[in-house]
Amino acid sequence: MERMIEMALQTQPDSGQLAVAATSKRFVRFRKYLPLTLMVIPGLLYLMINNYLPMAGLVIAFKEINFAKGILASDWVGWKNFEYLFATSDAYIITRNTILYNAAWIVLGTMLAIFLAIMLNEVKQKLFARFYQSVIVLPHLISIVIVAYLVYAALSLETGFINKSILPLFGMDDIMFYFEPKYWPFILTAVHLWKGLGFSVVVYFAAIIGIDEEYYEAARLDGATKWQQIRGITLPLISPVIIMLTLLAVGRIFYSDFGLFYQVPMNSGPLYETTNVIDTYVYRGLLGLGDIGMSAAAGFYQSIVGFILVLTANFIVRKIDRDNALF
Amino acid sequence: MNRKKWLSSLVMLLTLALMLAACSGGGSNGQSGNSSGGQSGNADQTTGSSSSGEKEDTYHAVMAIPMFQAEPKDFQMVEDEINRIMKEKINATVDIMPIPIGNWMQQMNLMLSSGEKLDLLFTSSSMGYSSQAATGKLAPLNDLLAGPGKVIVENVGEKYINATKIAGESYGVPTIRDLAANYEYVMRKDLVDKHNIDLTSIRTFDDIERVLEIIKTNEPDIVPIAPGGAGNSGMLVGYNAWDSLGDGFGVLMDPDSLVVSNLYESEEYREIVTRMHDWYKKGYILRDAATNQIAANQLVKAGKVFSYLGNGKPGFAEQESRAAGMELVTVEIRGPFAATTNVTGLMWSIAQQSENKEKAMEILSLFYSDKEIIDLINWGIEGVHYVKIGDNMIDFAEGLDASTTGYMPNWDWLTGNAYLTYVFKGGDPEVWEKTKVFNESAKASKALGFTFNADPVKTEYTAVTNVVNQYKVGLESGTLDPEKTLPEFIQKLKAAGIDKIIEEKQRQLDEWAQQNNVK
Repeated sequence: MERMIEMALQTQPDSGQLAVAATSKRFVRFRKYLPLTLMVIPGLLYLMINNYLPMAGLVIAFKEINFAKGILASDWVGWKNFEYLFATSDAYIITRNTILYNAAWIVLGTMLAIFLAIMLNEVKQKLFARFYQSVIVLPHLISIVIVAYLVYAALSLETGFINKSILPLFGMDDIMFYFEPKYWPFILTAVHLWKGLGFSVVVYFAAIIGIDEEYYEAARLDGATKWQQIRGITLPLISPVIIMLTLLAVGRIFYSDFGLFYQVPMNSGPLYETTNVIDTYVYRGLLGLGDIGMSAAAGFYQSIVGFILVLTANFIVRKIDRDNALF
Repeated sequence: MNRKKWLSSLVMLLTLALMLAACSGGGSNGQSGNSSGGQSGNADQTTGSSSSGEKEDTYHAVMAIPMFQAEPKDFQMVEDEINRIMKEKINATVDIMPIPIGNWMQQMNLMLSSGEKLDLLFTSSSMGYSSQAATGKLAPLNDLLAGPGKVIVENVGEKYINATKIAGESYGVPTIRDLAANYEYVMRKDLVDKHNIDLTSIRTFDDIERVLEIIKTNEPDIVPIAPGGAGNSGMLVGYNAWDSLGDGFGVLMDPDSLVVSNLYESEEYREIVTRMHDWYKKGYILRDAATNQIAANQLVKAGKVFSYLGNGKPGFAEQESRAAGMELVTVEIRGPFAATTNVTGLMWSIAQQSENKEKAMEILSLFYSDKEIIDLINWGIEGVHYVKIGDNMIDFAEGLDASTTGYMPNWDWLTGNAYLTYVFKGGDPEVWEKTKVFNESAKASKALGFTFNADPVKTEYTAVTNVVNQYKVGLESGTLDPEKTLPEFIQKLKAAGIDKIIEEKQRQLDEWAQQNNVK
C-alpha cells in the first residue's frame, strides 16, 4: 500500500505545469483505471457489509443487553462482561491450550504442507498428481461432526477399532481414550493435520507451479541436486506465500477450531485438561446463561489479541526483510 | 495526492450508498411492522397461507414448535385445517413452524435476538427460560393471562401458573401434562420373567444391585444397566431425592426446608457416586456410559442393554415399550415429586417482538381449551389420519400404520392441554385421569415456584458450569473414582465460586419465600 502511494507520488507532474493539463491527465488516468476500480467494488462491498459494519456491534460487549429496550438503550456495564474470562481457575489452562495447540499447528502444518506440496510437484504424471491432490484435500470437505464419529469409531471403548481389533493383536489392555487427557494432544494434532492440511497444500502447490521452470533448468545445468534446487530455488521463491499464510495464522492464534475441540472429544469432561480452549469454555459456560454481552466480550478479547499479534509479527518480519512484510 | 482524493471520494460514495441502502431497508421493515396493527398490510396478505384474501384484519401469527422427528408429510394439510377453524373462531391464522430439536436453541436465539416475526414459542427452563425472560426476549404475561388468557389459568391451575413467575411476573404457561416426576427403574420383561425377578421386591438401589448381579452372571452378552438420558448423562438423571433448584448449583437437600447447600459436598451424593463406581467396576454399567450418545430405550431395542433408570410418569412403561419395540416393565423407586423445573420444563411463551400479543394469547388459549384444535395438531384429521375406535380412543385410519401415516408428530405432551385430547390405541385409556391423580399426589418441594436469576453472579456461574461439566457425568456414570476425583471436584467448585452462587440463591429464595408467604 505504502509503496503504491510512493509510486504515485513519484509519477506526480513537476511543479509549474498548468493546472488544466493536470486535470485532464488525471481524467485520462481515471478513465484508464475505471474498469479496475469498478471491479473492486463488489469485494469492497462484501468487506464493508461482512467485516466493517458488524464492528458497531462491539458495543454489545460493554452492555447489559435487554431486548425489550433494544441494544442502544440497554445499560452500560463497563468491563463486567469480560471478568468471567479471567476470574476462573481454568483461565490458565484454556489460554495455554489455545496458544500451544495453535502455535504447534502453525509450525507443523506449514512444514508438512510445504513438504507435501514439493512432493506433489515432483509427481510428473498429471493424472497421479491430480489424484493425490484430491485425496489430500478430501478431508477438508468433511463435516467435523462426521469426523468426530469417525474418530469415535476408532477410539470407542465398546466398539472402537483400536480397542477391539488392534490392541488385542498385541495382547494389550483396552485404553479408555475418552477418559485419559494425555492422549489428546496427539489425537487432536493428528485429526487437525489430516483435516486441515489439504487446503494449505493446494495454496503452496499453486505457488510452486508458478515458479519459472528456467530456474531449475539453469540449476540442473550447473549440477545442482534435487535438495539444492529445493533449498536454493523453491523455498526462497515461495517464502512470501509462507510468510503471508503464517502471519494470517498468527492472527487467529487466540481462536480455536470449535468443532475440533468440542465435537471430536465428544465433550467428555475428564479430557478438559487438554481439550478445553477459549471457544469451548465460553460455549459451555454461556449455554445456560445465553448472555450475548459476555460472548461478544470473548470475541472482542480474541480479536484484539489477534490484532496485536499480527502487528507484532509483521513488525518483526519488516525488521528482518522489508519486502516480505504484509504491510 | 490527487489519486488519494479520488480514492477517498469513492469510498465516501460507497459508504453513502451503503447507509442509504441500510436506512431504506430499515424503513420498509418498520412500515410493514406498523401496518399489520392498523390497516391491512400487504405483507400480511401475501404471507397468509390458504386463507389469504378474505377479511381485512385477520391476524396472522407465527408459532415456533420443536420437532422431535422428521416433519410429517401432511403437516401443511393439518395446518390449513387448523387455520380454517381458527379463522372462524377468533379471526386469526397461525403459521406453525416446526424446528428440529437439534437446531432449536440456536434458531430460537437467532429469531429472538433478530426480531424476526414470531408470536408464540415453546420455552423450557432447561433451554434458558429465566435468562430469556431476564433479557426481555419474552413478553410479560400477567395482564394477558388476566384478560384473553383467563381460560388458560383456569385449565392449568393458579398454583402452576405461579410456578413460572420470575420476580412476580409470568413469562410462560406450562403445558397441561404430568407436572411432577417420579424415578423409575425400567427393565426388559422377557428377562425379568426368565430369571423370576420379583418386581414387588425392588425398592432401593440395594434391590436394583441384586437384579444387576443376576443379569451379569446369567446373561454375559448383555449390559445390565445404562444411564436413562442420552448423550453425556449419568445415572442420576431424574433422581429426585433433593430439589436441584433448576441447575444443581446449590440445592435443597431436604425439599421440606429452605436451606440451600452444595449437593456435591453432601454425604448422600458421595454415597451414590461411590455406589455407581462400584457398579462400574463390577461391569454392571455400560462402559461407554459417559460418552454414549444413544438413548437408553434404543440401546435396549438393539439388544445391548437390560435396564435403565430415569424419570417416569403414568403411561411411562407403555411409552417406552413402544420406543423399544419390546415389552418393558417399570418399578417406581421414588414417588412423584414436583419442583419448579417439572412445571417450567415445557411452556409456551409470547415473543417480545409479537405485533399483537392479545391475539397471540387468544390463539394460545385455543390450544389449551379447544378440543377440535388440540386433536388436529396432535393426531391430524379424522378419517384421513385417524379413526375413532372408542369413546376416547383412536387408531390409524384404514390402511395406515406408523410408517405410512402422513401425520404422527408424537407431541401430545407438548401442544397445550393433553387432558382434552384422544388417547392413541395401545395407550392406557385412563392415562389422563391417572395423571391428574399423579399430579395431586406428588410431593411438592417447598420451593415450588422459585426460579433462580443467575444474573448477579454471572462470572461465577460460567466458571462453575464448566467445572460441573468436567466432573459430573464422569462421577455419576461411575467411570471416575470418587475417592480421588470428588475432593478435586469440590475444591475446583470452591475455586470457581460456587459458594457465592449458593449465597445469592439463598438470598433470592428467602426473599421469594417472604413475598409468597412460604414458611
